[in-house]
Amino acid sequence: MATSAPPAPSLAPLRGVQPLRPASGHSFFWHKLHSLSGIVPIGAFLIEHILSNAEALNGPLAYAQQVRLLNSLPLVRVLEWTLIFIPLAFHALYGAYIAIRGRATVNVYPWAGNWGYLTQRITGLVAFAYIVYHLWTQRFSGVSLPEHPGAAFAKVQHELANPWVLAVYIVAMIATTFHFSYGIWLFAAKWGIASGTHARKRFGGVCTVFGSALCILGLASLYAFVGNPKYANAPADAFAPPAIAQPAPVTPPQPMTTQ
Amino acid sequence: MATAPSTIHVEVLRQSTPDAAARTERFAIPYRPNMNITSLLGEIALNPVDVSGKATTPITYDSNCLEEICGSCAMLINGRARMACSTLVDALLKENPDQPIRLAPLSKFPVVRDLAVDRSVLFENLKAVKAWVPIDGTYDLGPGPRQFPQTQEARYPLSNCISCTICMEVCPQFNTATNFVGAATIAQARLFNMDPAGSVLKEDRLRALAGDGGIQECGFAQNCVEACPKQLPLAEAISATGREVLLQQLKDLFVR
Ligand code: SF4
Ligand code: FES
Repeated sequence: MATSAPPAPSLAPLRGVQPLRPASGHSFFWHKLHSLSGIVPIGAFLIEHILSNAEALNGPLAYAQQVRLLNSLPLVRVLEWTLIFIPLAFHALYGAYIAIRGRATVNVYPWAGNWGYLTQRITGLVAFAYIVYHLWTQRFSGVSLPEHPGAAFAKVQHELANPWVLAVYIVAMIATTFHFSYGIWLFAAKWGIASGTHARKRFGGVCTVFGSALCILGLASLYAFVGNPKYANAPADAFAPPAIAQPAPVTPPQPMTTQ
Repeated sequence: MATAPSTIHVEVLRQSTPDAAARTERFAIPYRPNMNITSLLGEIALNPVDVSGKATTPITYDSNCLEEICGSCAMLINGRARMACSTLVDALLKENPDQPIRLAPLSKFPVVRDLAVDRSVLFENLKAVKAWVPIDGTYDLGPGPRQFPQTQEARYPLSNCISCTICMEVCPQFNTATNFVGAATIAQARLFNMDPAGSVLKEDRLRALAGDGGIQECGFAQNCVEACPKQLPLAEAISATGREVLLQQLKDLFVR
């Protein structure tokens, strides 16, 4: 009598998490594009944006000049769409897709890296929501700043006069600068630029200092709009000659002045 | 010193078949010093009677070496993935005094029965990245190439993996939405890429890791490093392998 053969290994598909699918799909490309787009162009733009906003610390006129300078760049509308809006939309949407596929576990494993993982997703979603709002209020509604850069300071100041809006800006500033600086660290770790344990730790210190500096600069600019009494009630157009301070001219203007 | 308890209360999440509903059974086990979770489960097997005196079956779980080297006994102990044989009851009682010890199967793998789960996905992943040194042939291939001691030292920590799947269980990215390959497989790909003879398959391994569910799904939460019972340098392995996978993709794009 033949002894029964050992049962054949089950060929039924595995339940649960599926094995790696070599040479299939394009998620590697999209993930890398997502992580790169966070550094350039979006991160580079964020640095530019916070530095430009810091001009507000020098008053409405300096701020208006900065806005005018940026809007005088060649092909500025093309640059705005290709280097800011489109990459930002991709980074935000693909980032949201990445975020909803993760299963946060900080309740069971409350470790620093795990908190970083969760915080990176939350700050990303906060920044996403804020940027949609911010683009609407400052770029696509109200007085158009590309055409009237002189109105920039007053427009921002007017929006920030609402304490709730100010709170949103402060939270978003912290969330965005965290997301960016931790994102630089993640970029260096995932792309193998800082791969060793010590290199990653050192670079973490660099990113912390950088992110804090960026955040403080951003918050200081917010202060320039709402807290600095020197710039309270900024003129609606920083380029317009001050109307009230000067008495009306009594003599008629010199007829032969050129320009 | 606090007096040791005379009994240990244990709650075990059990299910009799892969599709059966899970239920909790409670046990009271006489205390002995220096017990681990496998000896606790052994006590239940000796006298499979629950706390109310009702007869039940011994608890099914995987174990073999009882010294944290075979990797089979991973389970959720008080909610956290750990090895049953190296988790000490005295330490758990100190961690959570007056609380029952809770045992459950790993949550990310299909349950076979009670605490035994099907971890074939790791085996499939290791096959997908060819985690071996190809030495089979029709003739004697002769001695392998020399390995520098520096290479051996770099490889040794990676060779300590016991395939327990704890790094996968604790990973927020290892789930049915991403089907992420997990840290262990990436570390083994690196181990064999660093082998002078195994490196012949290096490009295949790096290409495999760029497929769907590959290394790109890593979110760098680094839970794997914290949880790995054998202290593998997993974050470093993922980072360095990530660079190589990327360079391989670029090479395939521009050179091949
Ligand atoms: S890498 Fe560590 S946690 Fe992962 S399977 Fe190997 S030994 Fe277990
Ligand atoms: S029984 Fe072998 S690792 Fe626990």
